[in-house]
Amino acid sequence: MLPFLKILVRNIIKGPATEAFPFGDTFTPKRLRGRAELNPERCLACGICSHVCAGGAIAMTESADGRGMEFRLWHNTCTFCGLCEHYCPANAITMTNDWHLSHEQSEKYTCCEVQFVEYPVCKRCGKRMLPHLHQRLAKGLVGAVNTAEIMQICPDCRRLTSAMQQIKSKTCFSTDRSNS
Amino acid sequence: MHKYLKQFVHKSPWLYRINAGSCNGCDVELATTALIPRYDVERLGCKYCGSPRHADIVLISGPLTTRVKERVLRVYEEIPHPKVTVAVGICPISGGVFRDSYSIEGPMDRYIPIDVNVPGCPPRPQAIMEGILKACEIWKKQIMEVA
Amino acid sequence: MINDYIHAGIALLIFPGGLFALATGLLFKGMDRIAVARLQRRVGPPVLQPVFDIIKLSTKEILIPESANDAIFKLAPMMGLMGSLVCAALVPIAGVWKGIPGAGDIFVLLYLFSLPALAFMFGGSSSSSPFGAIGFSREMVIMFAYEIPLLATLLAVAVRADWSLSLDGIIAYQTANGPFLLDPVMIPAFLAYLLFIPGTMGAGLFDIPEAEEEVIEGPVLEYSGPLLALFNLMSAVKLMVVLSLGVALFFPLLLPGGIWVNLPFHLVKCLVLMLTAVSLFRASTGRLRIDQAFIFFLKYPSSLAYVSLLGAFLLR
Repeated sequence: MLPFLKILVRNIIKGPATEAFPFGDTFTPKRLRGRAELNPERCLACGICSHVCAGGAIAMTESADGRGMEFRLWHNTCTFCGLCEHYCPANAITMTNDWHLSHEQSEKYTCCEVQFVEYPVCKRCGKRMLPHLHQRLAKGLVGAVNTAEIMQICPDCRRLTSAMQQIKSKTCFSTDRSNS
Repeated sequence: MHKYLKQFVHKSPWLYRINAGSCNGCDVELATTALIPRYDVERLGCKYCGSPRHADIVLISGPLTTRVKERVLRVYEEIPHPKVTVAVGICPISGGVFRDSYSIEGPMDRYIPIDVNVPGCPPRPQAIMEGILKACEIWKKQIMEVA
Repeated sequence: MINDYIHAGIALLIFPGGLFALATGLLFKGMDRIAVARLQRRVGPPVLQPVFDIIKLSTKEILIPESANDAIFKLAPMMGLMGSLVCAALVPIAGVWKGIPGAGDIFVLLYLFSLPALAFMFGGSSSSSPFGAIGFSREMVIMFAYEIPLLATLLAVAVRADWSLSLDGIIAYQTANGPFLLDPVMIPAFLAYLLFIPGTMGAGLFDIPEAEEEVIEGPVLEYSGPLLALFNLMSAVKLMVVLSLGVALFFPLLLPGGIWVNLPFHLVKCLVLMLTAVSLFRASTGRLRIDQAFIFFLKYPSSLAYVSLLGAFLLR
């Protein structure tokens, strides 16, 4: 009879289950998807993140002088879905578990993740080029090519280099491993 | 009113929520902050009230759809001054995933002066409480200024 | 003669009514909120939260609907507060206060007691809001329902106390013959009174006229700012009156010692009564429909009170 009385008594004995949050700490799960963050060192400026972004939060614009790409993520339209993190080929975007995003209206348009991805300079011709995906490129390259050097030059110079190599060695350079 | 009494005013923020065409996700989180013992907002003196006439802090969720716009504006006008508005979720702030839809009138700050934004889809209950605390600070400033 | 007026004035404005009733009523409301929070495993607001609410409400703007009846809309909360303050001045506290001499037996109290409920009704109906009108009708129905067991309880107590219609006489009888709470004949009446308290305070099962989720706080829907604060003060004082009356009717036990022992003792008794009749009720029960509540009051508290009344008659 009257099972709710039992519950009430148990509630009083157990004491409040409230966490201390506004006055103290709270529990934040490690894998909570919060504010997204970009590591400009790893970014390839490929733009897949802005392509898949559900909320249309990511804008990538090339700077006028061609020095690099400006990455702008407006937290006020990010849905924390994590698609950008999932699709990023270089693991440059990560969802941190920081959820302290509330801000006053005056900061509405400045509540952004702004990063500048600088284009590396070609060692040979000095032109700006898109960043390489270092590891993958290193894996895919075969033959007597200086990988360390090839990663630092632009596609045009790379084409030139391989053409020069072919002319010099008179052997056909291909990625077919069985022939080499 | 006496200055000594004024400093207690912000300890009793009564919350009123307006759903401006929200998908209900943010409303669920608001209900969570209201009802679950773990995030007891009553500690801050908050009380969810049913009538807009009793409200101090307005929590708006939803991207302001065309159909609901007039009603939202009317309800907002019925709230007595001084009032502080909190936009909960990304929809009222920017339109969120519904931005540029034919049936969306938002973002909210085109029609209603917003004071605090709490982004998230939906925001965590703790983030909402943080927003409410920020709103309380703004409210306190407003009251102290009215001499 | 003039002395009597001064006494009555002090009673209305300062000690059992007035400031004292307001302060204790607000404090009790805060304790009630904490108690409910603890029963739900929450921490709850600070004890002074109702006071903060009043301070806050007095800084807010007053909005009056265009189609509302202005005068009645403004007068209703004041009338309710006045009514409950007079009630508070009339209820004696055992060993501390004997009530205003020559002013008021239990029937005057019963009459004055409907003033806060009437204030709710006037406020709700004058606000011209459909929700206010629904709240008005619900308040009226529930008032009719709980006044029947209240009347029967008061009569039973009066009959048992040797046909004493004044509260002071009832207390005097009980100090001589032992409190009614320990009297088996009067226990049903006490239970009826226990059920009447949440009915009149609108707690738990009987939170029907002011149902937040159904009729958006009903009669007080259109009230804002200081006028709403008056309603809050009214219900705080009303809570105090109901509890004091319960203690006076059933358990006016005296401790040896003067006022300074008996006044805190009285407050402790009120607190216990509130925790059982209001807080526990509010934390554990949901809301009834208005017709269910009406039938509930006619069935259980009324029959309990009638049993006591019959017993009191037979044992005379």
